[in-house]
Amino acid sequence: MKKILLITALGLSFAFAGSVAPVNNALYQKECASCHFGYQPALLSKASWEKVMGNLSDHFGTDASLGKAESEQILSYLVTNAGSGKITANNTDMQITKSSYFIRKHREVSPKMIAQKEVGSIANCIACHTTADKGSYSERAIVIPNYGRWE
Amino acid sequence: MKKTVCFILLTLTLLNAKEFNAPMKTYMDTLSAEAKATNPSFTGFDALRGKAIFESVHVSKKGKEISCTTCHSTNLKNCGQNINTNKPILALAPSANAARLTDVAEVEKWLRRNFNDVFAREGSALEKGDVLTYIINQ
Repeated sequence: MKKILLITALGLSFAFAGSVAPVNNALYQKECASCHFGYQPALLSKASWEKVMGNLSDHFGTDASLGKAESEQILSYLVTNAGSGKITANNTDMQITKSSYFIRKHREVSPKMIAQKEVGSIANCIACHTTADKGSYSERAIVIPNYGRWE
Repeated sequence: MKKTVCFILLTLTLLNAKEFNAPMKTYMDTLSAEAKATNPSFTGFDALRGKAIFESVHVSKKGKEISCTTCHSTNLKNCGQNINTNKPILALAPSANAARLTDVAEVEKWLRRNFNDVFAREGSALEKGDVLTYIINQ
C-alpha cells in the first residue's frame, strides 16, 4: 500500500501531461500579461522566478519595473506556485524556452512556423496552443496558424 | 486680419482642448510646478511638442530604431501592438478608450517604462506633460 502511494506521489510530481494550473492571480494577470502571454507559474522553477523578478527594469531588454508592493506580491504568487519535475528540470534560466523538456517538445516545429507574423516568437504560447491560457498544452489543442492542426 | 485669424484659431484650439479628470489634473499641476522650477520661462504644456516627442525616432537598447509609435501607431485612436511579443495594445486616445489617463499610478508607471525603452532615460516633467497633453487631445 505504502509503495503504491509512493509511486502515485512520484507519478504526480513528475506529471505534466500537457496541463498546469491556470493563472489565478489578478495582479499577475494585469501587470505581466498586459504585454505578453500570461505564463503559468508552474512553467518555471522558484529560482528562475526569483531571477525574473529581481531584474524587471531590464526585462529581456524592456523596462517592466513595478512598485515594491506589486513586485513583492507577484513574486510571492510565483514562487508559491512555481514548478518542479520534468517541465523545469535543469532549467534555472529566466526563459521557459531554455528547459530541455520544452526544447525536446518543440524540436519538430520548423523555424518558418515561428517566424510568421501570427506567431513571432516560440515564447508566444497562445499563438499555437489554443487552450494555453487555461493551462492546457495538450497536443489535440494545437493549431499552427496557416498550417493547421499539429496531429 | 492676420491677428483675427490667429485669435479665432487660438479660441478654437482652447475650446477643443480636452479636460483631465481630477486626479490627473492634480498630477499635471505637479508636472507644471516641476517644469516651472526647472525653467522659469515655462508657460504651459504643448500638444504639438508632445506629438514631436511621441513621433521622434531613437535607437533602442536592442539597437533597433524605435519611437512611441512603434507600438502605439501614429493614430492614437487605433490599437497598437507590442513589437516584442505581438500582444495587442488598446488605443491610447481617451476618445477611443475611456480607461486611458484615468489612473495616475498607471500613467506614471508607463511613462517611466516607455521613456526608458525609447529614450534610454526617464522623461522630464516638461516632456511628460507635453506628451500627456498630446494624448488627451486625440
